[in-house]
Amino acid sequence: MARRRSAPAPRAGTAARRPPRPAASAARRRGSSGWTEAHVHRLFWRAGFGATAAEARAWAARGRAATIDWIVDGPPGGTKLHGPAPRVDGRKLDPVNEWGHDQLWWLDRMVRSNRPLVEKMTLFWHDHFATSEQDTPRMLAQNRLFRSHALGGFRPLLKQVTRDPAMQLFLSLADSTKEHPNENYARELMELFTLGRGYSERDVREAARALTGYRSKWTNKGFQGIRYEAEEHDDGVKRILGRRGRFGVDQVLDLVCDHPRHAPFLVTKLWQFFVAAPPSPATVRALAATYRRSGLQVKPVVRQILEHPALYRNLAAPDLVKAPVVYIAGALRTTGSAITDNWPVWLSSTMGQQLFQPPSVAGWDWGPRWMSSNAVRQRFVLGNYVVNYGRPRVRRGAYKASLRPDRAVAIAIAAVGSPPVSAAERAALTRLARHWFDDIPKSWRDKADWRAESLQRTLRHLLIAGPGAQLC
Amino acid sequence: MRPVHKGCDDFRQTSAAARDRWLVPRLSRRQAIGGGLGGALAIWAGRAMDFGGVIEAATAEAAAAPAGRVLVSVFLPGGADLLDTLPPVGQYGTYADLRPGTKLASPPLLGGTGLGIHPSLTEGIGGGVKGLFDAGKVGFLPGIDYANPDLSHFHSRHFWETGLISERAAPGWLGRWLDRHGSAENPLQGLTLGSTLSPVLATGKAPVAALESPRDVGLDVWGTEDKTRPRLLAAWEQLTHATRGGGDGPQSVRTAAVLAKRVGDRLAPYAEKDGKDPLAPVVAYPEDDGFSTRLSRLAALIAQPLGVRVAAVQADGEFDTHDNQPEDLARALRSVSQGLAAFQADLEARGVADRVMTLVWSEFGRRPKGNESAGSDHGAGGVAWVQGNHAVGGVLTVYPSLTALDRDDNLRVTVDFRKVYASLIEGWLGTGADEVIPRAGAYGRLSLVR
Repeated sequence: MARRRSAPAPRAGTAARRPPRPAASAARRRGSSGWTEAHVHRLFWRAGFGATAAEARAWAARGRAATIDWIVDGPPGGTKLHGPAPRVDGRKLDPVNEWGHDQLWWLDRMVRSNRPLVEKMTLFWHDHFATSEQDTPRMLAQNRLFRSHALGGFRPLLKQVTRDPAMQLFLSLADSTKEHPNENYARELMELFTLGRGYSERDVREAARALTGYRSKWTNKGFQGIRYEAEEHDDGVKRILGRRGRFGVDQVLDLVCDHPRHAPFLVTKLWQFFVAAPPSPATVRALAATYRRSGLQVKPVVRQILEHPALYRNLAAPDLVKAPVVYIAGALRTTGSAITDNWPVWLSSTMGQQLFQPPSVAGWDWGPRWMSSNAVRQRFVLGNYVVNYGRPRVRRGAYKASLRPDRAVAIAIAAVGSPPVSAAERAALTRLARHWFDDIPKSWRDKADWRAESLQRTLRHLLIAGPGAQLC
Repeated sequence: MRPVHKGCDDFRQTSAAARDRWLVPRLSRRQAIGGGLGGALAIWAGRAMDFGGVIEAATAEAAAAPAGRVLVSVFLPGGADLLDTLPPVGQYGTYADLRPGTKLASPPLLGGTGLGIHPSLTEGIGGGVKGLFDAGKVGFLPGIDYANPDLSHFHSRHFWETGLISERAAPGWLGRWLDRHGSAENPLQGLTLGSTLSPVLATGKAPVAALESPRDVGLDVWGTEDKTRPRLLAAWEQLTHATRGGGDGPQSVRTAAVLAKRVGDRLAPYAEKDGKDPLAPVVAYPEDDGFSTRLSRLAALIAQPLGVRVAAVQADGEFDTHDNQPEDLARALRSVSQGLAAFQADLEARGVADRVMTLVWSEFGRRPKGNESAGSDHGAGGVAWVQGNHAVGGVLTVYPSLTALDRDDNLRVTVDFRKVYASLIEGWLGTGADEVIPRAGAYGRLSLVR
């Protein structure tokens, strides 16, 4: 396990006076200064939904190992949601019955949970086992399944997902019978869930036979559940992935999990979720080895990725495009704002991501594909909502027109949670502040305090929703 | 073990030099499909934009060529079924035997073609898609696909989007056309009606745009005065420059940030003013139908001197009908028929129908033998059609046999989709197909344009 590298053996004679330090690690040599607020921001965005100013300060002081432990294992005392529960139109959320509240309910967890990595991995599984067009209670049940297995073993997760009613109905595994096997689930099981490639059309058909036997039950009250009926299962001999046998459901799932292509497939996909640059073949081998050695556990692989130097490369120039829900939840979380209205629901959808409605069983297209002229414009709109209804609200009469431009920018940066701002970005904002009053005659300017307010709005808006805020 | 249904990678048979002309080298960063993540990677304006050369008043350029022909791609996601869309009533017994769970009892007939048509396709202005067929404005392309089709949605869709039987990331086929023949300035030349860019229009360097509505495009900060707006937009440009970082992510952000501003600027003159909406539809589209809404906006934009040349719209319905096919397909085709019929009527009323051609397509067909869930599984030999005042009407390709199936019990493919692409590029857009489709000469041509 890559959890903690053991310290090298101390050199004879010096051990008593100096603590051992691995010579190869520049970060270690610099001690706590090798782990900065910039590292914390990077880690919190990749593993979660960004860090508040207080989190960045505190975790930079506590160091790398403590921060990664907290992210991966969580704080003692278990999962908690910080702060007051959201209210929309003065009422608590009703995820099952109110339109959009299912999405708000999950977004709120992303904003307030003390286990951001668990929510992030729940999002990973929602994309990986993408299911859509199902009734809300079934989707919420599936969401609970993903959350409880977020960092657990892949094999038990796959076995549960295969039996999950939302998935079974979405990919027609329910009512795929001996007489009429339906290939839908078998195909995506291999292509999208476990292997990517390396199987044949025949493997799909034979696996479909092995997965038969589930029946859905419906009454006039609607869907009543899924039952396995042995007489609907095809118990004949199948040939799947080069093996012959009277395979049943769990045996097919074991076959794909134990297939040599599975580990590289899954660890690569996990890597791509956290890091923009592709993994080297050696990295894939190392992650796959960790994954196999742990018995297909996800947590040690994720920990190894979060510890990898590639994740912290070029801290001043982030290169991963934030997914829409990560962008929205992150803007709320890092500015200390709460969900108070439905706007995140439609805004997220017009940015190209609607929770519980992935566009297809392949999930969403991540990375640069999130970007388009429309997506950027919708992401810009988010700034209006956060600045008008969130914590970075601009108070009336609080700002003077006589404020110096660099001071106005500093106030705005602090008001939105002190995100990392590059020198070039700061210069652009300061320039904007300097010219904001240009159309007002000089003699009036010092009295134009209303204009100081619109300057604060604009600066905060650009910090929350400008081009730089799209990357982490 | 050789996969039975794997697209033979005939793209590999071209020379390396030829391949490089179609694949922008920097696009091959990541295995496009195999990893599952990301689907087809499309950096749709991957080359560095020339910020200094951004011409804000590019309207003049568009106005110089306002009458360019327009090709619209309408995608039916999921693999639309041929048999129930154009039921082969001439072989009704065989059809009914194959499809006990989904068969249409007495579908309307398509003249003397031996084919029927799904009743949903008669809905809409003037009798829907069937009405357009009867008027000689729709040419059906049954049996369309490619040899040894790959029955993965994602592989096949990627092949159709790129016009290449290759899993490598590449610009879309219409994106490549824009790279050769489009403008270096005008993002509205390649227009996706929707929140995310269609991979069909992904380009290597030409700017393109995606939008849900021409009204929702401005970069506005609430509670600020109009006077300060130019300063906000100047800061936006500086912040775009200030977004450092190499790689596809930062590049995609910079490009999209430039395009968002430019689209906002170009569409600003069409904002609703004094209660008058310059882009209001001129015919009645179905209400509460996203597909129709997007088509109505597209028609309005095509009719303005904005230089739209290629456009992409996706249908809303469920075409991946593994179960519940009768209801799902009826609903999906109804939306398609009503939307496309209104679109055609709208274009005609605006006087621009003579310069618009539409290609309706899906990533594959479905297996002739239905499954027990009143549905059908992925299969070969699907359905597509061309639509427009200048489309050749009729049934333009051979309907596949229901009895002589391939070794996987799928329909035999009777026309390669690249033959249709090449024919549209030459016949409609008036440029050489070889520039966009590798070895385009090998597919022959269909007469699709009159």
